[in-house]
Amino acid sequence: VRVYADHAATTPVCDEAWEAMQPFLREHFGNASEPHWAGREARRGLDAARALAAAALGVDQADVVFTGGASEADNIAVFGRATRGSGRIVTTPLEHPAVSGPVDALERHGCEVVTLPVDTDGRVLVEALDDAVRPGDVVCCLIWASNLTGVIQPVAEAAAICADRGVPLHLDAVQACPALEVDIGALPGVITAAVAGHKLGGPKGAGLLCGRGLATLEPVLFGGGQERALRPGTESVAQAAGLAAALAAARADRGRYARYRTVRDSYEAALTAQVPGVGIVGERAERTPGHSLALIEGVHGHALVALLDEQGVAAAAGPACASSESSASPALTAMGVSPEAARGALRLSFGALSQDGHGVLAADAVARCAGLLRRASAVV
Amino acid sequence: MLRPADFELAGRVPYPAGEGFAGGSACGDRVRITIALAPGGEIAAARFGAAACAHATAAAAWACRRVQGRPFLDAARRSLAECASELGLSGRARECAAVALDALHAALGDAAERSLALPEDPALGAVAMSGGVDSAVALLRERARGGAVVGMTLRLWIDEQAPDAERACCSPGAVLRARESCHALGLPHVTLDGREAFRRAVVEPFVAGYARGETPNPCTTCNGSYRLAALVDAAARLGAAHVATGHYARLVERDGRALVARGADEAKDQSYMLARVPPAVLAKLRLPLGDATKAAVRAEAAEAGMAAATARESQDVCFLGGGALDDFLSRQGVQLAEGSIRDEAGQELGRHAGAVAYTPGQRRGLGLSAAEPLYVLRSDAARNELIVGPHSRLACSEVLLRDARLDGGASRVHAKLRARSPTVAAAVEQVPGGLRLVLEEAVYGVAAGQTAVLYDDAGCVVGAGEIAPVPAPS
Repeated sequence: VRVYADHAATTPVCDEAWEAMQPFLREHFGNASEPHWAGREARRGLDAARALAAAALGVDQADVVFTGGASEADNIAVFGRATRGSGRIVTTPLEHPAVSGPVDALERHGCEVVTLPVDTDGRVLVEALDDAVRPGDVVCCLIWASNLTGVIQPVAEAAAICADRGVPLHLDAVQACPALEVDIGALPGVITAAVAGHKLGGPKGAGLLCGRGLATLEPVLFGGGQERALRPGTESVAQAAGLAAALAAARADRGRYARYRTVRDSYEAALTAQVPGVGIVGERAERTPGHSLALIEGVHGHALVALLDEQGVAAAAGPACASSESSASPALTAMGVSPEAARGALRLSFGALSQDGHGVLAADAVARCAGLLRRASAVV
Repeated sequence: MLRPADFELAGRVPYPAGEGFAGGSACGDRVRITIALAPGGEIAAARFGAAACAHATAAAAWACRRVQGRPFLDAARRSLAECASELGLSGRARECAAVALDALHAALGDAAERSLALPEDPALGAVAMSGGVDSAVALLRERARGGAVVGMTLRLWIDEQAPDAERACCSPGAVLRARESCHALGLPHVTLDGREAFRRAVVEPFVAGYARGETPNPCTTCNGSYRLAALVDAAARLGAAHVATGHYARLVERDGRALVARGADEAKDQSYMLARVPPAVLAKLRLPLGDATKAAVRAEAAEAGMAAATARESQDVCFLGGGALDDFLSRQGVQLAEGSIRDEAGQELGRHAGAVAYTPGQRRGLGLSAAEPLYVLRSDAARNELIVGPHSRLACSEVLLRDARLDGGASRVHAKLRARSPTVAAAVEQVPGGLRLVLEEAVYGVAAGQTAVLYDDAGCVVGAGEIAPVPAPS
C-alpha cells in the first residue's frame, strides 16, 4: 500500500484545475497583452481567473497579481517594501525561507530586523508583536500557518496592530489557504498575502500576491509592465486559470478539510498509543487540519523518512540534518526544542490523496521503523 | 536506500575485540561499530549502532555486512568510495557515509591494537602513512617490490584548541588522505589510536623539558622512544615483518647491525630524526626514499594521481597545530610569567613574557636595544629569568650528552647539535652518565635538551644523546 502523507510539500492537480487549464495551453494560446483576437481570448481567460481568485480570497480583482509561485510572491512583497535597503522589519522565526531569505538579505543591506518570540506550541505572542511593531516600520512578516507544524498564527490581531501603526503586513498564506477561511479583504490595514497553486490542487509554477497593499509596493522585477508592473513577463493564463479553479473548488467543498482532520487525528492517536516518547508539536494550538509534526525520541527524522519510503509511506523529515532540504530549524529552536530532539522531527501532512485508513497505516509504519532505528541508536 | 533488512546487524557484539566510534560533528550524526574476531583473525561478527541520517545509517549497515566473515586485512580494504558507489551516494550524502567508514576503521584499528595476532606473512610489508606525499610514495615503492602491503596511520594528537588543527600531523584530514591513498590502490589500511601513549612518551617530556628551561626535540624522542616501535609492534600483529616509512634516510648494514645513514637528498636528509631509534627497531625498518630526492618523490606521487601529492609540507613540531609555542605550553599547564632579562653581571635589561619559551642563541623577540646585539645565553627556570649576552658568549666547545649511546667505539665524529645546523668535527669519549664531546671549533647557541647526533666520515649515525645543561657559572 502506498500512502502519500506529504501534502504540505505538494499535491496533484485537481479535476477542476485540470479542466480550467486545457483551453489555454493550445486553443486560446494568445498573448494576453496583445489587442488582437488571439490576445483577447487569452485576456478573457486571465480576467476570469483573476475574478475567481479574487472572490475566493475576498479581495478586489485589481488586487490580485499572478506570479510564478509563492516564493516569487513573497520575494516581491518583502523586497518591494525596502528597495532602499533601509528601515525596520518585524518578522518571526517561523517564516518560510521565501520570506526569511529576503529578510536576511535586507538585513545584510542595512535594514534593522526584529524577530518575534514564539511560545512552546509555536505561536507568535500577540503581546510581543504589539510591543515590537512601531510606526514607520517598513513591513511586518507573518506566516499565516506554519509550514512545519501547521500551527495557525494570530493573523487578525497582527493585522489590527499593524493597521493601528500604519505598518504594512505581509502574510505567507501558502499553508493556510484555503484550509482556513482566508478572507484577506476583511483584514484591516495595508495587507499583502502570498498563495501557491500546487499546495491546494493547482499547478506548480503558479502563485499569486494579493491585497490592498499592492498599491504601495515598489517593483523589484522589471519588464513589460504586466501584472501591475509587479510581476512583468507574458502572463501564463493556463497557470492562472488552474490556480483560480483550484482555489474556488477548495472554497466550494470545505467538507474536505474535516476529512483531512479525521485522518490526521487518527494518525496521531495511533502513533502516540503505539510509540512511547512521542510529542506532537503544537498539539494545544489551533492547526491546519492535515498537518502533524511529531518529535520522536531516539530516532533520526531523515533515516525514518527513508525507512518509511521503503514501506510505501511518503513523509517529510524535520530540518535538523544536513541531508534535509527544508530549513525551518530556527522555528523549532525558537520553540525551545533542543537540537537532539529536533533531529527526531517527522512531518506528515494529509490531504486530497488521503483515505480513511491512511492515518492508522502511517502510524503503524512509523512505529515499526522507529523501533528499528531505536534499536540502532540505543547502542551508539 | 535504507531498508528494514539493514537493521539485522544493528546491535553490539558482546565483549568486542574492537570498538570504533565516529561522529559528533556539526550534523550530530553518531555511529559505533563493534567487531568480534575469529581465532584465525577473520571478522566473526560486526554490529552497528547509529543515531544518524539515512545515508550514515545505511553505510554503517553496509560496513558490517561487507566485513562480517572476511579476513581482517580484507575488511581493512573497505573504502568510502566503494560504499558510496554501491549505495549510490554522492555529494553531501557521501560525506554522511564517511562517518560510518570512520567508525569501521576505528573498530579495526582498536582490534589491531588490543586483540589481533595474525601469523607472520613473510611476503607482507607495512607502510607507515602520515597522509603526506613522502609516505604515499613509500607505499608506491613498497608495492612495486611485488609483495602484499598494508598501510598504517598512527593518530597521535588532536588539539581542537590549536589555531589550525588540520596542520597538526595525524589530523582527521591527514588520516583520511592516508586511508584513501591505500584504498585507491586496493590496499588495506589500519588507523591506530596512539594518542594516550604519545602524550605520555612525547608530549609530557617535551613540556617538562621546557618547564626546566631546556629546549627539547620532540621528533627524535618520538621516533626513538615511541612511534617506530609502536608501528613495528602493530605491524607484527598484522603479520607484517617490517615497516617502511617515508623518511629521507638510508639504512646500511655494518657488522651485522643496521645503522641509519644520510639520505641522498642532502636538503631533505632526515637521518637526524631517526638517530635515536633503537637497533631492534631499526632491524625491522625499511626506508624506500633513502636514495630519492624530494622532487622525484613529488613527481612520482603526481604521476600516480595520489591525493597526497599536493598535501601541505609539515615542518613544525606536529602537535603545535600551526600555533605559537608559548600558547601551546600554557594550554598544557606550563605557567608563563613575566620576568627579568638580565646580563651576566645580573643587571636587569628588560622584561620577558615567560622565560621557558626562549631557547639559547635566540635574538628575536627580546625587545632589547643595546650597543651590540644580545642573545639568549640560557634561561633560569627556577628564577624565571633570561640571561643574555653578546654573540661571543654563546661560544661552546665542550658538550656533555646524557642518555647517550655510541656504537663501535668511535673516537672522532661529526656532531650535529640541532636538526638544522651543520655538523662540526668533534672528539668523543665515554664519561660516567654519558658522552663528552670536544668540538674542534666553537658552536654558538648550544641548547640543553636538544639531540646531538654523531656521524662517522661515511655519514652513518654512530651515536646520539641529549645535550645536558651546563651548570650556570657561580
